[in-house]
Amino acid sequence: MKLLMTASQINGLPVVTVHGGDDVAEVRDVIYNPEAGRLVGLTLNKRGFFSGRSREVLPAEAIHAIGRDAVMIADESSLVAPADAPDDVGHPATDRNVIGNDVLTEGGTSLGVVRDLALLVGSAGEVVGYQIEKPAGGHGYIPLPAQLAVSGAALVVPDVTQEFIRDDLVGLGAAVDDFRARLGMQ
Amino acid sequence: MGALDWLIIFLVLLAVAAAAFVVIRRRRRGGGVFATRGKP
Repeated sequence: MKLLMTASQINGLPVVTVHGGDDVAEVRDVIYNPEAGRLVGLTLNKRGFFSGRSREVLPAEAIHAIGRDAVMIADESSLVAPADAPDDVGHPATDRNVIGNDVLTEGGTSLGVVRDLALLVGSAGEVVGYQIEKPAGGHGYIPLPAQLAVSGAALVVPDVTQEFIRDDLVGLGAAVDDFRARLGMQ
Repeated sequence: MGALDWLIIFLVLLAVAAAAFVVIRRRRRGGGVFATRGKP
């Protein structure tokens, strides 16, 4: 089942094993590859009120499913040490947090500041857009191309993105395919 | 020490505990959205 969720909705979710139903960790950070437009993994917290960061991480390949209330994995062996995980997940680029980055069109218009990441989840995680805080105030959602280079403090998106700003996740879901089809025509 | 002194000590300890609690919760929560490094 496909479901649109934001990264902030995924952060804090329990990580539960399909075989046994054990609650083994909690999602701490979301790591994604903007060039491939997909989730690459999750960093974790240990369970418990005062327990801290878990050394183990969860690569996207080891995720059975991401649902509204939990991230499902096959069993505890899905959690791996950083040295055994892909480098992007084992040693995430913590200086590349996109929250707070400016979004600029190729024509130089500011669409706002990134407040969250929108993902199409289920068995995998596809990055489909950002939640932005508009310059004039208020929030909106912008769709993303299937691939987008992120190299500095600003995210540069195609000019046509302005026409596809939506007020909520449902509207974003409907706009993504149209947006990408439009880019394909250009 | 009088009752007022004990009250002040209690309030200071309470403030320290509350600050520690907030720091621990913030550090634990995480909540980052990290982009992987692009091609050079």
